[in-house]
Amino acid sequence: MSPEWIELGRGLCYGGAGLAFGLGGCGSAWGIAIAAHQCAGVLREKPELFGRMLIMLALPGTQGFYGFIAAILMMTQTGLIGGSVLKITLGTGFALFFVGLGCGLALFISAIKQGEASAAGISLIARRPEAAGRAILFPAFVETYAVVALLATVLFIIFLTQPLAIKSLGL
Amino acid sequence: MFPKIPNIPKWGFVSGRISALEANFLPREFFMGIIAQECIDDIIPHLQETFLGDYLTPGTVWEDFSTLADRCFHDMVISIRNDCPSTIPADIFLLQSDYLNLKNAFSGAATFAFPMGTLGHEKLSAIAHGDFADLPGSVTEAGGFGEGEIYEVFPGVIDIFLDGAYLRHLLSLAQELESEMIRTYINDKVLASIVIILWRAVKQGIQTKRYEQYLLPLGDFTSVITELTGIQNPETWQAAIGGVIGDLFAESIELEMDDQISGFELRATNHLTRIARDGKSQTAGPERVFSFLSGFFVEMQNLKLVVTGRLNRIDQSLLKQRLKDCYV
Repeated sequence: MSPEWIELGRGLCYGGAGLAFGLGGCGSAWGIAIAAHQCAGVLREKPELFGRMLIMLALPGTQGFYGFIAAILMMTQTGLIGGSVLKITLGTGFALFFVGLGCGLALFISAIKQGEASAAGISLIARRPEAAGRAILFPAFVETYAVVALLATVLFIIFLTQPLAIKSLGL
Repeated sequence: MFPKIPNIPKWGFVSGRISALEANFLPREFFMGIIAQECIDDIIPHLQETFLGDYLTPGTVWEDFSTLADRCFHDMVISIRNDCPSTIPADIFLLQSDYLNLKNAFSGAATFAFPMGTLGHEKLSAIAHGDFADLPGSVTEAGGFGEGEIYEVFPGVIDIFLDGAYLRHLLSLAQELESEMIRTYINDKVLASIVIILWRAVKQGIQTKRYEQYLLPLGDFTSVITELTGIQNPETWQAAIGGVIGDLFAESIELEMDDQISGFELRATNHLTRIARDGKSQTAGPERVFSFLSGFFVEMQNLKLVVTGRLNRIDQSLLKQRLKDCYV
């Protein structure tokens, strides 16, 4: 395994980590903005609903944290943070890059869609405040797939950074 | 119709505001409760719960109730308009008072009784003083005049001429919005208005050919007007009108002679409210704003009907019969 391949593999791995938290963070910001527009309009007329709106507003923000967790895990597993630096093959680098990309995309889209679902829920709460409990379920269902994406990413990172996996991914 | 959500970032704020305001819409039972009141003084506590609550200050004169309701509606439209990324959905509801003021301006009056909408006081004053440079395009497009003649509209046709311009303006605003629901609503509203204008003319024994001259051009409805003005007996109008409005017309013509036009107006308004309700399923967008204002307009109309009706001791059953379908 030549040093150039190792450096390239490592670069791809951190590129994937960057995409995971970058896309997750962008999606969260976008999703929160969508919900915030709707929320601000409701609060213009009914400021007393702020407490019930807050959870709906915060829900699309979780994807940003999931992306951060995925990125941190990639860095710790490859030894960038703490421990000994792992020799990453080109194959492992590619695999980790696409894991990060897939995770980032799932978080990005789910955060935006969760923002839209939150906006719809906020609209429902504005009309019928007593339906707040049910309204929170809609964006929560979208959250499920962000959680699934994070779990899959964590498992992939752990398995791909095992010595056996690195060896089998060659170069 | 499916809810459209790509509009959320732009229309989110105003749509959120509307969601909160919609919770205050009054159900039919409320109006029935007002109609059932025997004592006028008992109506006030009920009205405090409505959008009119802030307008009912001590010493409010009951005789001004219609003006009060109009002012409440106008203030709401202006307030919503200020929060919208596009003013068109709100402008559609300001046009009526604009054209009523324009009617005054054409007759040379310097005071304008109706709330100011898209045409400001300066423009209207200029028109009243013979400066027609700022006339809306829908007015200058009127087909009944040669070049330059528009500035000498004679009183006999001013109503027809401005009705045509108003309907033309509505159609042009609806075309600017990429919304199937709003276009359907405006098209049906324009068609119903045409039918009412011509039907009233026929009942009053006025030659409808004059209407053809001053109402046109009205886009896709030009041929309908030409056809209707060619048929002097309204009983055979249904085929020429066509669609849902044609069906509503057919139902209305079966009513007692005196109730026919008011019955048709009521049916047409209820049909438009049904169309507008589709906007409720949208999270954010121009349809949401349009639907709310449409529902709010109907609510104010119903309030005016029941309150002034009770003040004037109009029969309860008649008021119930004239009550329009509520948005909620």
